[in-house]
Order: sequence, then structure tokens, then C-alpha cells
Amino acid sequence: MFRNELFRTATFRLTLAVVAAMIGSAALQFFFGYSQANVFEAKRSDTLLLREASILQHETPEALEQQVRDRATDDLRIIMNATTLFDAGQHYIVGDLHSWPTGLVADGRVHVIAPEATGGSSVTVLRMVAVSVPGGRYLVLGRSRQMRTELRLMMRHSMLVSIVPTVLFALITGIILSHRALSRVKVMHEAIDRIMEGDLHERLPAGRQNDDLQRLAGSVNRMLDRLEQLLDEIRDVGNDIAHDLRTPLARVRARLDRALNADHSAEALRNVIARTIDDLDQSFAIITALLRIGEIENGRRRAGFGTVDLGALVADIVDLYEPIAETKGIILACAAREAPIRVQGDRDLLIEVLANLVDNAIKFTPGGGRVEIHTAMNGECALLQVIDTGIGIPAAERKAVTGRFYRSDKSRHIPGSGLGLSLVSAIVALHHAQLDITPTRVHERRPGVTMTIIFPPFCVVQAGN
Amino acid sequence: MSVPSENLPPDPMPTVPRPEATPRVLLVEDDGKIAQEVIEELESRHFVVQHEFSGAAGLSIGLNAHFDVMIVDRMLPELDGLTLIETLRERQVHVPVLVLSALSAVDDRVSGLKAGGDDYLTKPFAMEELAARLEALLRRPDTSRHTMLRAGPLEMDLITRTVRRDGELIELLPREFRLLEYLMRRPNQVLTRNMLLEDVWNYRFIPQTNLVDVHIGKLRRKIDETGRPPLIQSIRGAGFMLRVS
Repeated sequence: MFRNELFRTATFRLTLAVVAAMIGSAALQFFFGYSQANVFEAKRSDTLLLREASILQHETPEALEQQVRDRATDDLRIIMNATTLFDAGQHYIVGDLHSWPTGLVADGRVHVIAPEATGGSSVTVLRMVAVSVPGGRYLVLGRSRQMRTELRLMMRHSMLVSIVPTVLFALITGIILSHRALSRVKVMHEAIDRIMEGDLHERLPAGRQNDDLQRLAGSVNRMLDRLEQLLDEIRDVGNDIAHDLRTPLARVRARLDRALNADHSAEALRNVIARTIDDLDQSFAIITALLRIGEIENGRRRAGFGTVDLGALVADIVDLYEPIAETKGIILACAAREAPIRVQGDRDLLIEVLANLVDNAIKFTPGGGRVEIHTAMNGECALLQVIDTGIGIPAAERKAVTGRFYRSDKSRHIPGSGLGLSLVSAIVALHHAQLDITPTRVHERRPGVTMTIIFPPFCVVQAGN
Repeated sequence: MSVPSENLPPDPMPTVPRPEATPRVLLVEDDGKIAQEVIEELESRHFVVQHEFSGAAGLSIGLNAHFDVMIVDRMLPELDGLTLIETLRERQVHVPVLVLSALSAVDDRVSGLKAGGDDYLTKPFAMEELAARLEALLRRPDTSRHTMLRAGPLEMDLITRTVRRDGELIELLPREFRLLEYLMRRPNQVLTRNMLLEDVWNYRFIPQTNLVDVHIGKLRRKIDETGRPPLIQSIRGAGFMLRVS
């Protein structure tokens, strides 16, 4: 089983491919080497044959005959394998060949002659030259292909000798590497199986190697961390929704129950119904806000993006909230700025953010307090600030307030769903901006809160664009 | 601006409506229970309601009969609401349509209005809101280029941006002027808080505070000074109305 898996690993397959490539390249190398040697040998043979023929042509007939006779036994036979003298009728006189090779023409050029054409000689002559010599005779010189055959044999042998151990070495290395990779993948498979069985805390083994498999394991582990965090959040949100909806629904039920069992006047019943509708509206408001947060977090709302002037946005919000601030005895002010600050964003959503922040600021600022809205540039970042002198948010709670349904103990008596800042942070995130919550330092007794939305440089639309 | 008396809000005591004052409504809604509630509410307000369950039936009825207004649910069996409206518009049927939907996202509202809907109401909704929006659709404000608006004792000059009650000048802030203009263009109509937020300020969010009430309160203090019969009235559970005779 494991052996079968081994042969199916990518590493082993890669090894096989490399081995095949090695064999192929070695074969090509030897083939071209042999071809070159072959051509070289043929040229060398021709030169030798022609030079020898030219020397012997100048000998006297007697001396030539003697030389041919001597050559049948001397060392030169190794180089010049066949030397034979024929008469004018191409009949054998003396030498190695006993008959005129078929197809050989006495034209002083080298011819390639098949072995059977030499008349059953023991010597396999392939390259031959026939020249006429003094006395009306012909001298035939031949050189065998022996050298070439030997060269071929030698090259084939050396190829086999070098290829076999190289291939074996590559194969063994491939098997070892595949085996190691397979062992790590097997451990990962086991971990994934445990995760799929429901153990969400399980992670892929973290090794020390910084290879691609390890980096992949790292990415998968980070993905699992995020998934686990999201699942936890979903679970928490589910519990929060259930809890926050149960409260108004329980009130509705209790009120209707009482109305059913008591003998109420029509006016009292109308009153009960009106209060019941208020509670149901609160439940719907929670559901609507959750749906909006979900929708914005899914990032589907980028269609409405365009250039938004923050100054105009602030002016609109001040216009909308001034009367309510006045009613509560709060000063709502905005700092006018000459150069407009423009950002890429969705006007409706940014209005909602600002409305939520100003709504909160007014809600949590006692009479006589002050709420200010600022727009500013900080380096290349655009800032949108809502500063109040209200009850403030303790340092420990500053991060938690943007979570869903979070309500500070200090704000429990003030109506609200606890979803306003979640919505704000979802919209801010959609704009790639950042929400900073810091204490306001303008007032000694009332710390207040400064909510700052920081738009990164790439969201800021430069003047003239 | 003249006020058609037959479209005054219903009396508390149901009366038999006069034939010419009976708006015909086609309701296309697949949820029987909601449909029943809507029908009862509208009939109590002297509307004549025809109800269809499927988009296909709604389309065939809508093409072949005259209605004063239509209420179309977005998600319908056989043929979805938006396709229904688009087909009606293609066939040159220009009856005002109120789109009713559980989809509340701004994108959904935009697609509803782009398909040819005239207004959009998300579920759950208050019956008062539905009725107010239907009445608003039935009596489209006079958007012709009158430079003077008149409603009862009120007179508004859109050029000089001045408002008078019984000839007496009233100083209004720009936002109060805008709000009053909206009210004066729709006298004797219930206007919900959402309608005011959406149409006067062009905002699509639900404020946590009683924003609209505060604005109306400010305006009311200037318009209805003590000793004069109040014109701006609060309608419990619904919104506000500029009631003029």
C-alpha cells in the first residue's frame, strides 16, 4: 500500500522524469560523439589509402610486387588491411584479395565495398581504392571498418557503464526523498482527517524546514485559525441574537398574556398594542441592523462608491442633528476647513457612519456638553473626527465596543441595540479605513470620547483629480 | 395647489365610499397571511383590492385590467416581482407600483426602483406606512414649476424663499423650509418618518433618536404659533400630516 503510494508521489514522478531525461541526453551525447568519430575515421581512412596508393604507384613493378608480398605479413597490415596486385585483366597476382572486388572501379578514388564483394576474404574491407601501376597492372588497397566497429563498441560499453549507476543513484535518491515527503503528507492527512471529524483545534504539523510543503501547512493553519475565530464569532452572535431577541419578545408575550386575561378597556388595550408594536419594532430593528452588518461585511456594497466630500457630509449631518442637540442643550459644532477633503466612498454609508457616531455622542453627552465634528489631513491620510464631552468609554472597553451587542454598563439605561458601532466598524472596514477610539482631553471632569476615522492615502482623492 | 377632497384620509367610522373615490389596488403577494392583513387594512380605507398569489397571474391581470396602483412582492412564484414590473413597463402600463420586499439592502431597493417600481417598502412594515405610501403614489405631488405653493392659510414663494401664514411672514431656516415644502406639496397625506428622512434629507438609515420628531417640532413651533389652529398634526403610530381644509 505504502509502496504504491510512494510510486504515486509527485517527487518520485519527478525523479522518473529526470532519469528519463538523463538517459535521453546521454544517448544523444553518445550518438553525436560516435557520428563525429565516424566521419573523422572515414576521412582519415581515405587520406591514408590515397597517400599510400600514390607512394606505391611510383615503385617499379618488381619492387611493388615484393612490397605487396611483404605486406601480407608485416605490421602495416594493421593500418592497410588489404593490399593486392592484379594484372591488366584484373586477375590476381599477389596479395590479400584473391578476386577483383565487385563494383570496384580503378579510377583512383575511394569506394565503399560490401564485404561479400571482396570474394570471401577473411578481411572485411569496406573502403577501397584501385590505381593503375606501371606494367599495366592494378594495385588495390583496402582499409577495414574494424576501427569504427571497435569505436562503436567502446562507446556503447562506456555509455552503459556510466548510465546504469547514475540512473540507479537518481532512483534511490528519488525514492528516499519521496518517502520523506510522503511521511510528512501522511501526517498532514491524518491531521486533516481529525479536523474533518470536528476537532477544530487540530493543526497541521509545523516542521522546521522552510520548504513549500511547510509554507503550505503554515497557510492552511492560518486559514484554520481564521475559520475557528469566525465560527466562534458566529456562535457568539447566534447566542447574542437569541438573547437580545428573547428580551423584547418575552415582554411582548407577557404583555399580550396579561391583556388577554384581564378585563381591559378599549383604550387600555390600544395602549397595550402600541407598546407591543414598539417591542416588535425593536426586535425588527435588531434583525435589520444585523442583516445590514452582514451585507456590508460581505463586501457587496462597493457598487455605490464614488468621490465623497467629507466637509459636505459633515455640514449635512450638522444640519440634521443640530435641532436635537439644541433640544438637549448640547452644542454641536463643526470646524470649517477651506480646502475640501475628498475620499473614495459610499455617501449613504458614510452618512450612516457619521449619523451613528453623532447620534451616540449626543446620546451619551449630558446637557451643557459639546460635540464637535472635524475633518483634517494627517500627512496623506484623511481624518473624520467626532469629539464629545460625554461619559467616555473606559480604556478596557474601547476595543470591545465595536463588537456586536456590546453595551457598556454605563449605557445600559440608554436605549439602543448595541449594534451601532458594529455597523460603523463594518462600514469603516469596507472603506479600508480605521476607527480609533481615544479619550477626549479638552475637558477635565468629563473625559468624553474622540472617534476618529482614518482614511488611508489610497482612499483620499487628491485635489484636481 | 388645490387639494382633491376625495382623497382625504379615511374617517374613523367606515363609510361607503363614493365610486369615483375608490382606488383600485392590485396586490400580488404569495404570503396569504400578510395578503389578508393588507387587504383588510386597505378595504377599511375604502380601497378595492384584487389579490393574486403568483407573478404570472399578477402580470396577466395587470395587463388586462385598469388599476390605480399596484403592490408587488419581490419574490413571487412563477415570475418574480421585478420581471413582472419590467414586463408591465415594456408593455406601456404605467400604473404606479409599490414594491414590497423582505430584501432591505440599498442595492435591492435600487434594483427595485430601476426595474420600474415607484416606491419600495421593506418587510416588516407598519400598515400606516403602507397606506401612507400608497396614498402618496396615488396623489403624485404637483412637480410642475409653480413658484408659489398654497396650502390652507400657508403660502410659500419658492423664488424669494419666503413663507407666510395668513399673510404674515414666518422666518424659516433652510432645512425647515425644505421640510415645509415637502409637507405643502402633500397636504392632508400621512407622511411617515421614513418618508421624510428619505425624501427630504435623502438619507436611508434608521436613526436611533427621534430626529424627525425634533425637526417637525421646531417647524411646528414656527408655523403653529399659539392661538392659531394647528396645521401640522402627529398621527399616532404613523407620522405627520399637514392638515388643511
